[in-house]
Amino acid sequence: MRKYWKFMSILVVIILSIGTFYVKSVTSEANHPEFVIDTQSGDAKEIEPLKLVGYYSDTSSMDYTSTDVKISSEGSTYERRSFLDQIIGEPPAVIKEYQEKYRSFMRGKGLNVNSFFENNQFLAYADVDYKTDSFHSHDFKFPISILNKEDASVQSFTVDIPDSENMDYAYMEDLQIIEDELYIITNNMIRNPEGSFDEKHVYTIDLANQTLSNDDTFSQVPEGQEGNHIVAQVIRTSPTEANDHMILLQKEIKVIHDPESYREEVVKQEVISYNLATKEKESISVSDLPFNSELSFFDGSTIYFIGIEGQEIFVTPYHLADGQAGEEYRLQLSGEDGHGSAPMTTIKDGKLYLSGQQLTPKLNINAADVIVADVETGDILFKGQITLDDPKAKNQYELYLHEMLVE
Amino acid sequence: MKNYLQLVNFEFNRIAKLFTVLLGITFVAQMIGVVVQSRSYLNMANEKMYKEMMPQAEFLENFGQMSFLQIARSSWFFGPIALCIAGVAFYIFFIWYRDWIGKNTFIYRLLMLPTSRLNIFFAKITTILIMTFGFVAVQLIIIPIEMLVMKAMVPDEFRLDMGVVEVLTTMPELTLIYPSSIMQFIFHYGLGLLAVSILFTGILFERSFKWKGIFAGLLYGGIAVIVLILPLLLHEFVLNSYFYPIELFVLEIVMGLIVFAASIWVSGFLLKNKVTV
Amino acid sequence: MIEVKGVEKRYGLKKILKGVSFTANKGEITCLIGINGVGKTTILKAIMALTPFQKGQILIDGKPIDKHSFEKITFIPDSLTMLPNMTINEAMEFMKDFYTCWNQKRANELLGFFRLDPSNRISSLSKGNTAKVNLLLGLALDVDYVLMDEPFSGIDLFSREEIANVFTSHLIENRGVIITTHEIGDIEHLLDKVVLLDDGLVTKEFSAEEAREKEGKSVIDVMREVYQK
Repeated sequence: MRKYWKFMSILVVIILSIGTFYVKSVTSEANHPEFVIDTQSGDAKEIEPLKLVGYYSDTSSMDYTSTDVKISSEGSTYERRSFLDQIIGEPPAVIKEYQEKYRSFMRGKGLNVNSFFENNQFLAYADVDYKTDSFHSHDFKFPISILNKEDASVQSFTVDIPDSENMDYAYMEDLQIIEDELYIITNNMIRNPEGSFDEKHVYTIDLANQTLSNDDTFSQVPEGQEGNHIVAQVIRTSPTEANDHMILLQKEIKVIHDPESYREEVVKQEVISYNLATKEKESISVSDLPFNSELSFFDGSTIYFIGIEGQEIFVTPYHLADGQAGEEYRLQLSGEDGHGSAPMTTIKDGKLYLSGQQLTPKLNINAADVIVADVETGDILFKGQITLDDPKAKNQYELYLHEMLVE
Repeated sequence: MKNYLQLVNFEFNRIAKLFTVLLGITFVAQMIGVVVQSRSYLNMANEKMYKEMMPQAEFLENFGQMSFLQIARSSWFFGPIALCIAGVAFYIFFIWYRDWIGKNTFIYRLLMLPTSRLNIFFAKITTILIMTFGFVAVQLIIIPIEMLVMKAMVPDEFRLDMGVVEVLTTMPELTLIYPSSIMQFIFHYGLGLLAVSILFTGILFERSFKWKGIFAGLLYGGIAVIVLILPLLLHEFVLNSYFYPIELFVLEIVMGLIVFAASIWVSGFLLKNKVTV
Repeated sequence: MIEVKGVEKRYGLKKILKGVSFTANKGEITCLIGINGVGKTTILKAIMALTPFQKGQILIDGKPIDKHSFEKITFIPDSLTMLPNMTINEAMEFMKDFYTCWNQKRANELLGFFRLDPSNRISSLSKGNTAKVNLLLGLALDVDYVLMDEPFSGIDLFSREEIANVFTSHLIENRGVIITTHEIGDIEHLLDKVVLLDDGLVTKEFSAEEAREKEGKSVIDVMREVYQK
């Protein structure tokens, strides 16, 4: 045994030392503080379906690593991202759910939520596929797959994208199925000798023949004259709900050159409703719509123009059916103006959910409001704040939230 | 099995001296680093607070407390680690070539032992592994000692105490050596082991066929790498991203095991039939 | 019996062995004779599977070599193959660890015979003593066959005598021995069988005793005949 002592002792050292290190690293995770959504008014039941996802970092040391945190009505849960998550990455929650439910259909599909459409009968997928070489892009195609949930049959085919000679790139804006037609809404970047510009297209695919039956330029946004340019934005919708209309917010922006800088000013704003089936375009006149309503949301029948002004969120509902705008209402956010980014918003089942994104006590950033309101009237159903459960806990931390899920 | 363990012990004793010397250098250099870094922080504090009459609170506000990270980021700390890594890298080759060089060519004895020649391969690869883990483990023991020294030098109010785990998981440069989860640890060092097995096979090709063997060894290494990343290549360029990431991960592990097994088999074949003294 | 059958070996384009065949019996001392570079050492290495060969076959007691063979046959190369920083004791311990056929009693006997101090470090030994340790480590194994490569080269006269004495002792009795040499003067009287090698081929294989008794020729006489033809 005597001649084995070196070998034996190094083995013991290795096992004890590395073993202790990993036992410790597992047990040392518990010292993150508990975050809660503190009720200030309203019914705490309203936030039960709400889940906020983000990350927490302790700023007291020079340690800038962060830990994933989920905050809900039940408090916070920390998740050190597992090794597999780290190297594999996590798809958005909607996609993850599809992958679990329709494993073989989801094989090889991208992770862009806009590429999917789901209703009771179908789960559809379309994407823009193209080849690029050093000078230009070519071979633009739509790979399309449609899963019929009833008999689990899958229709897969590819459609060439017409008139794509001058396209630089294209990406999916939305996908819809109405009756027997599939609508692929894309944003195409077109190159021409003067420069390049965006076009929004609606491609209609006849599902029975698996052919492209129509290509409609939904919005063309050429370079404006005299330094003006036009920006178009498709108003967000719930990815899991069918809509037969698309709503486009189009802004004409004027660039004003000051002696030392330049700034942009919106000179005109237009809301366009587009009927997918009939291809009818209709301009919606909304008087006094503020220019900064980027947070707007369309739920299929009502457009909610949502914007932020100082520490106030304003919401104007607009009913598509009767062309009537509802009463504008405003929600007050706490905290100081200009600290932290705009809150996250979403609308589900007639309720507007809102959550701040950042909590950094040291920099006095306290955008931690959580509000649930009746989306039609603006009546506040719940109002609260994300706070530390233990008020005496140190305030050297940073909390960033980046995803809001309503289940 | 008994012969394998005897060989591992024998191989380890052969490097014990080099191993100890490297550990000694690591300990001494890092200790110097602790003293130098702590001193320079304290000197700066003295300068600001007594010469420039800066209040303590303001000093701490501007310059922050001293933490072990300041030491860990210095080259006093990293230098010796790099040296140990270089030592292991060098020894991966030397562990074979030392048996051939010199007047007393020990490889005769090793190849004439009444045991499977693959045991020589296994003993040598195990020795590399133990040497590596030895450095990793002893460094984990040295750090708390260094922390104690820093504690003794820097007064409480100027010091931010951190745990070993906290220090090691904070520094991206170190997470390669000390991954944050045990799974990842196994993955990292498993990959390392695979790389060493491929290098060993290359070395044995060279030892068997001399100049031609170098090409054969490089070719083997190239093929091993291609086989290893084959699923990734197929996934990306042929199969249109057919696999889910988890499947790809499992496939990669299977490929790794296949390449590892192939390296062992080829090395065994070379040792048995082709190697020349 | 060790049978070498038609062994061919190339180093690159150069053929070192061009079909060497001979046999060596247990209980006999077989001597491979040839000038330097004729492939004697290569043959011994080939027998021990220390170098590959392209054609032919080598059998030990009718079987090709495998790991178990190393308990039956051993090779004493022309230099000592132990780590120089080991003491003789440690070297013996190493042998004892790995070989079941290691015979410590015989080793001790050899230590006495050669008057070696087992606590000496190998690196500190004289050339002659190093050769003796080399011999000791080989001969203290209870093996049937011993291969020796140039056991007398570069060794002083007295050591040479001591080593030669080993061949007549019980340490060698009943074993099959193959030795290579390019100068047979000292050991001519010990040999049972001689294999003459030239240019990668066996030019003559003969029994030394027969040559002496029937033809009245010494080994050197036969060599002269062969090489001067």
